[in-house]
Amino acid sequence: MIHPPPNDIPLLQNEAFAARSPSSLTILWREIVRDKIALVSLVFIVIVTAFVYITSLVLDQEQIVRVDLFALNKAPSAEHWLGTDYGGRDIFGQLIIGTRNSLTIAFLVTMLTGIIGISIGVISGYFGGMIDNFFMRVVDFFLILPFLMIVIAFIAVVPKYSIYSFTLIMTAFLWMGIARLIRSKALQERELDYIKASRTVGTSHAGIIFKHVLPNLSSIIIVSMTLNLAANIGLESGLSFLGFGFPEDTPSLGTLVSYARNAQTLESRPWIWLPASSLILVLMLSINNVGQALKRAADARQRRG
Amino acid sequence: MALLDIKDLKVHFYGRSGLLSRKKKPFKAVDGISFCIEEGQTYGLVGESGSGKTTTGRAIIGLNPLTSGNITFNGRDLTMERRRGKITFDRNIGMIFQDPYSSLNPKKRVLDIVAEPLRNFERLSPKKELAKVQQLLAQVGISADSIYKYPHEFSGGQRQRIGIARAIALKPKLIIADEPVSALDLSVQAQVLNFMKDIQKELNLSYLFISHDLGIIKHMCDQIGIMYRGRYVEQGSSDELFSNPQHIYTKRLLSAIPVKEPAEREKRAREREAIAEEFQTSYHRYFDQEGLAYPLQHIAGTHYAAAQGTGGR
Amino acid sequence: MGKTITRRFGIMVPQIILLSILVFLLAKQMPGDALTGLLDPSVDPAVIESQREKLGLNNPWHIQYWDWITKAIQGDFGQSFRFKMPVLDLIGERISNTVWLSLATLILTYLIAIPLGITSGRYNDTLSDRLITGYTYLGFAAPLFIFALLMLWLFGFKIGWFPTSGSVTPGLEPGTLAFVISKMYHLLLPATSMALITTVTTVQLLRSEIIDIKHRDFIHTARAKGASESRIYNRHILRNALLPIAAFFGYELTGLIGGTIFIESIFSYPGMGELFFSSILLRDFSVMITIILLYGIASILGALVSDLILGLIDPRIRIK
Repeated sequence: MIHPPPNDIPLLQNEAFAARSPSSLTILWREIVRDKIALVSLVFIVIVTAFVYITSLVLDQEQIVRVDLFALNKAPSAEHWLGTDYGGRDIFGQLIIGTRNSLTIAFLVTMLTGIIGISIGVISGYFGGMIDNFFMRVVDFFLILPFLMIVIAFIAVVPKYSIYSFTLIMTAFLWMGIARLIRSKALQERELDYIKASRTVGTSHAGIIFKHVLPNLSSIIIVSMTLNLAANIGLESGLSFLGFGFPEDTPSLGTLVSYARNAQTLESRPWIWLPASSLILVLMLSINNVGQALKRAADARQRRG
Repeated sequence: MALLDIKDLKVHFYGRSGLLSRKKKPFKAVDGISFCIEEGQTYGLVGESGSGKTTTGRAIIGLNPLTSGNITFNGRDLTMERRRGKITFDRNIGMIFQDPYSSLNPKKRVLDIVAEPLRNFERLSPKKELAKVQQLLAQVGISADSIYKYPHEFSGGQRQRIGIARAIALKPKLIIADEPVSALDLSVQAQVLNFMKDIQKELNLSYLFISHDLGIIKHMCDQIGIMYRGRYVEQGSSDELFSNPQHIYTKRLLSAIPVKEPAEREKRAREREAIAEEFQTSYHRYFDQEGLAYPLQHIAGTHYAAAQGTGGR
Repeated sequence: MGKTITRRFGIMVPQIILLSILVFLLAKQMPGDALTGLLDPSVDPAVIESQREKLGLNNPWHIQYWDWITKAIQGDFGQSFRFKMPVLDLIGERISNTVWLSLATLILTYLIAIPLGITSGRYNDTLSDRLITGYTYLGFAAPLFIFALLMLWLFGFKIGWFPTSGSVTPGLEPGTLAFVISKMYHLLLPATSMALITTVTTVQLLRSEIIDIKHRDFIHTARAKGASESRIYNRHILRNALLPIAAFFGYELTGLIGGTIFIESIFSYPGMGELFFSSILLRDFSVMITIILLYGIASILGALVSDLILGLIDPRIRIK
């Protein structure tokens, strides 16, 4: 809880205080602004995101995914800016909707894995002992699973396959990394005296976790979720590329790239798969740039200024 | 009746036992100690590191669960609460920690740190809370306009004062001070210690003062207990212990205190040699087969020592 | 060390059992079973039912699991329903291709990583270091399948230096020199594509290790005693910096598993990944579970190898 400073404290002092001890969010923001590449990346991400979400409201998705036998595999033209695929579907429209779908699912998976991973990690690390032992065995087990194969097998098995089941299946096998990270940090944190001090003045375990442990891990959480977001875009498009992600009537960046599994499309119709591939590449790179800048900010020793 | 009464306190730790490992012998951090603290008094707990003094303090406040024994505080039996993992902290017991750097959350403002106990036990309006925190800070000698600063903007001594402000926020009757000054510079140590004495009078506090430094203990404490490997070797008032030590361990501790007078040094060196010799010759009078102390024997008044055949030597 | 290994096995065995139960149940969830599609649809359903009974397909799952796992332990993973041959024979045909691909990738990974890592770490903050760091940065962010696709498009189709599919030119006699060369030729592009991406973590690790060790006191001591710069790097720094790289080896193996699936799919390279996909699409689940199980065990062993190497190098990490 932040209380407004009382009036009798002069404003000047508050400014001085702000200059001395910026909150972790301010530090993160400042580092991004200072790092020109990260700033450009962030602006790019914001523009792309805003563009695809806004235009996809206007675009008629039905019409874009409708097969048009008179416009098969057309090269880019005024009518179809990026040409059409083997079903005569407009690539540019698919690219916009596909980017939106890919971003949405990557974001959902990142949030869900974040919530699960952080909860398990913080409980495991903070309480330690048997609870920790149990959760870490579970994490170890999930880590040895061959991720791609298990996910593909699950996708093949699920009876009513949809975007939601895809999200859940991905989440089920991706929460371990952040859980491990948060667990190790919480384990360090709980050994510190201020946690014990909090207990001696009557703060409950839940209070300590929410008021002390999690806020102090906030920058690590933001960094790892940002990097996870990039990785999840890659995983979604990878799975869709292999044919085990989005169904074809719901375009994603991965489904567009997957047209390239046809040798002819790969060789002579790059307008179908190259834009999506480049977009995946640039998006992942940009998000990673932001993530790395945040990482530097979170680690005071590497801060640039 | 005493404010705090400890009877046969035991805290044993069981090593992490996995699925495949054999049952290990428990580590007996505290192995049957008893003492009581009167209101307004300071009780000193002395011992080398690993002697169990910190564990004792933590068991009393509830940071470590008890294995057995009884704790009665302020007429209330805390034993059952302390024995279970689920611990309700008593607002009448406060704690001051050794390390002024790690005992304050670096990302919290002084206001939030000092107000934490108030927020848990007293629901004050933001305005009243602010006033209360400012008053507490004034009490520990920190200027009231520091409330929006962060811990790293203070010196070690100041940080320890902030920790004290937090500990006294709920007006506790007992404060457990775990090596409160050993992380501070010598010059600051005296300051903080005297300040602790001042607020003791002001608030009628009792201290359980844990330290390895006999000089500080002598300066601060009314009653003293000396611990060695989880057990008491000697217990008594400050006078009794310092003028008439009975146990060889106490004697050795006392003889290790440096002296200021050069003329005294020669004498002290001879004393030390004599004690070393006694340690060699009559070791078994003081320690059993496992090198642990015997049960305490009454010497005189409040004075007890764990030596065989004592009671006037 | 012996204790560490026994302890590790104590963890591994339940993991493998759990994994086998998971994949078995997964396969059971798949629509159809060994008999669907095998028999003529005009056959009387009662006959099929009796066949099912005979094969034990109507038993509760744990009994079926028990039957399967006891046979599996003896090396009998059942029949492929599609290819009408023992699963192990089927896998045996494909596994060598995947092993060769993995091996080539591993070799290339280290061939790239070690010189780049050393240059980058030794001459840090120079132009070459910046270039190398930039490359690792890109490689870290780029997804393998996109990169491989671009490589195939560029070097396979546009420039045409490499074959675009298969593991060997058809018609060559196995055992001949031409056959071996053709095999290697087919391996080169897929393995390089994968190695260029997988190597970046190793380069980064090696670089930060070298920079870290460079500033340790024992290096200052060696320098103060007059050891030459090359001696310092070769004898003192490299020796220490390569240890974590060695320990990373097992995890590298685990990482290859995911990679080969993409690479085989993109380069139409007939290995385990391809077999896995066809088993999923054809509902050939005895093949599918065997492959997942094998890959799972491979990643368990990879982690084991890494932990053991780490334990050998650094006694503090050994499990007591």
